[in-house]
Amino acid sequence: MGASGSGKTSMRSMIFSNNPASLTSRLGATIDVEQNHVRFLGDLILNLWDCGGQDAFMDSYLTTQRPTIFSHVGVMIYVFDVETREMNKDLEYYRDCLEGLTQFSKEANVFLLVHKMDLVREGERAIVFQRKVAELEKASGETAVKVYGTSIFDESLYKAWSSIVNTLIPNARNLSKHLRIFAEACSATEVVLFERTTFLVIATSSPADSSESFSSDPVAVHALDPKRYERTSELIKSFKQSCSRLREEFNSLELELAEFTAVLDEMTKNTYVLVVVHNPVIETAAIKMNIQMARRKFEELQGDSLVS
Amino acid sequence: MMSSSSQSYVNAAKHGQNISVQRTKILLLGTRRSGKTSIQQVLFHHLPAKQTFYLEPTMRVAKHEFDTVIPLEIWDCPGNITVDSLGASLADFATIIFVIDIRDLYQQPVSKLVEFIVAACQVNPDINFEVFVHKAEKLQEDDKIENFRQIHERVVDRLADESPEYEQVPLNFHLTSVYDHSLQEAFSRVLHKLIDSLPYLEDLLNVFCLNTSSPKAFLFDTASKLYLATDSSPVDQATHNLCCDYLQMLTSFGPLYKSNAEGDIRAHLFSPTPTPPPTATPSPPSFSTSPSSTLKACVQSPPHTPSNLPLDARNAKPLFYPSAATSLSPSHPGTTLSYHLVTPHLALLALLPTTIYDMRRGLVEWNVVWFREGVREIWEVEKERSNAEGV
Repeated sequence: MGASGSGKTSMRSMIFSNNPASLTSRLGATIDVEQNHVRFLGDLILNLWDCGGQDAFMDSYLTTQRPTIFSHVGVMIYVFDVETREMNKDLEYYRDCLEGLTQFSKEANVFLLVHKMDLVREGERAIVFQRKVAELEKASGETAVKVYGTSIFDESLYKAWSSIVNTLIPNARNLSKHLRIFAEACSATEVVLFERTTFLVIATSSPADSSESFSSDPVAVHALDPKRYERTSELIKSFKQSCSRLREEFNSLELELAEFTAVLDEMTKNTYVLVVVHNPVIETAAIKMNIQMARRKFEELQGDSLVS
Repeated sequence: MMSSSSQSYVNAAKHGQNISVQRTKILLLGTRRSGKTSIQQVLFHHLPAKQTFYLEPTMRVAKHEFDTVIPLEIWDCPGNITVDSLGASLADFATIIFVIDIRDLYQQPVSKLVEFIVAACQVNPDINFEVFVHKAEKLQEDDKIENFRQIHERVVDRLADESPEYEQVPLNFHLTSVYDHSLQEAFSRVLHKLIDSLPYLEDLLNVFCLNTSSPKAFLFDTASKLYLATDSSPVDQATHNLCCDYLQMLTSFGPLYKSNAEGDIRAHLFSPTPTPPPTATPSPPSFSTSPSSTLKACVQSPPHTPSNLPLDARNAKPLFYPSAATSLSPSHPGTTLSYHLVTPHLALLALLPTTIYDMRRGLVEWNVVWFREGVREIWEVEKERSNAEGV
C-alpha cells in the first residue's frame, strides 16, 4: 500500500525479481492489485499484493473491495515517499487502511517504509527520518508500527525487508538457537542464515535484541558493524547479478582476509549460510566440512517449521 | 629491467624536481564538462558514478598523486587550459589523456586536441596520446559506435591537414563510461604503456596460467581496480567486468565483519612486527634472496609433494596473505574465481576450473607463492628506482 509513485513496485522487483536499481525507472504504474506468489524458503508461499496507488484505486480498496483487500492480511507494508507534497492526503488514506485492517485482520503486523531516502541530503537524513517517525507514530494511534527509512540504492531496503519476512517465519527463534550451537561447533563469531533467492536474512546466531546479549557473547566482544547483515545481502546480490551477466551462477564463496575468515555456502536447498570466524587457526575447509555435516539437521528443522 | 628505462623517466630526470619520489605524470585534458574530474574521482577516490553529477567545475590545475607499481601524478586540468597556461612543459608528461564527450559537437574538442598534439610532438616525440570518448552510456549501442568512429576520423583528418608528418603519431581511442568498467579497462591500458616492467609481469602471469590451466589471470591494483598486467590471452570484457565486481565485493566485505575488539588475536598472530594491519606491512628486506632458495627447494623436491611447499614458504615469512575464492556454476566444469593478495596493494585474480581448484589446491597455491615472489621482486626494483631518481 502507498501513494502512487511512492516506489512499491520498484521495491518488489528488486527484492523478489533480482532486478538492479537502475532498471526500476522503466516500471510502469501498477493498475489495480497485482498479486504475486513468491516462494520463500521453498515451501513458504508469500502472497504479495502490490496495490496500485492512484486515488481511484485507493478509494475502491477502502469501499467496495474492502473485505477482499483487508481480510487475511499477515503484514501490511505502507510506503511513504519521503519527499511527498501531499502528506496529509497520504496520512488520511493510511488511517483509513489501518481502520480496515483492525476491522478484518487484527493480528496483522504493520510496517511503514519512508522510501526514497536517497533524495534527502546525507547530513539531513537522520533528522528528516526522526521527524517522519514521530509524525507517523502519531497517525497510527494505538497500533504498534515499525518504521524504516529505505532507499533502493543502498542496503536499507534489505534491512527493512529482512525484518518484515522475519515476522512471517514461524520458528525463527528455534533456527537462531540451532545456529548458535552450530556457531559454537565452528568456533565462529557469528553465523547468518540467508534465504537463497532474495538473500534476506532469516536468522542469525546472535541474540535478536541487545537486551539478551551478555558479555561473553562473541559478537559483542568483537563489536561488529551493526549494518553488516543488510550490507552483506546487498553485496552478494549485486555480485550475483554480475555473475548472471556472464550466464554463470554464484555458488559459494570463501574468504581468508586480513580481518576475518568466512565461508558462504549453501545450507539447505533454499538457504545460504555465512560463517564468520575471527580465530586465525580455523581453516576454511574445516568450516565447509561442518556446513556439510549440519546440512541434514537444518533441512529437518526447516521441514518442521513448515508442517507446524 | 633497468636498461629499458623509458623516455618519460629520462625526460623527468632532465627537468629534475626536488621531490623524494619521481612520479610518472599523466595530463588529463578535455573541454569543459567532458568528465575529466569525474574520471579521476571515480577511479582514485571511489566516488559513486551517480555522484559525479554534483562535482564542481575544476578552476585550476589539480595534481593528484597515486601509488601503484609505479608512482603516478595525475594533473586534472580546467577545460579552458592551453599549452601556455599549463605552467609546465609538455615534455614532463609521459601520457596525455584527452577526454571528449561522445555527444559533443566535434569541432571544438578536436581542434583543442590537435593543438596539444602538435605542441607536444615538438618537445616530446615519445609522449603517449590517449583519447577517451567519454559518457558512452548516454547513447544507444549503434549511435555509440557511429559517434566513436566519427570522432576518430575527424581527429585523424585534422592531424593530416596540419602536416603529413602527424599522420604517424600513434593515437589510441577508448570508449569509456563511469557507469561500467570500461573506464577501468581503458585506464589500465593507458597504464600498461607506462610500466617498464610490464613484460616481466606478463611473463609471470603466462607461466601461472600455463601451470594451473587457468584461462585468464589478472594482476589488479586493489585500490583503483585497474589491472596492471594480464596473461597473453585476449581480454574479454565480460570477464574483466566480473573480476572488477568481484574485487569490489571483496574490498567492501573486509571492513564489514572486522573485529573491533581490543587486542584481536588475529592482529597479534599475523603481524609479529608492531605494524598493526598485516596487509600494510612492507615486505622484509631479506627478500631478494628468498625466491632463489625456494627455487632450489622446488627443483630438488620430488614432483608429487610440492603441495607442502606453500606452507613452508608461509612459515618462512611471518606475513599473512589474504585470499579468497568463489565458485560459479553451471558452466562446465565450473569456474572458480580466485583472489590472492601478493603485495599490500596488488592482487592476483584468476579464473580456474573448479575441478583443478578443488583437487589440486596445493599446487595452485604453490604457483601463487611463486608468482608472488616474482611480483615482489619487480615491485622492490621499481620502488628503489623511483626513489633513487627522485633524489
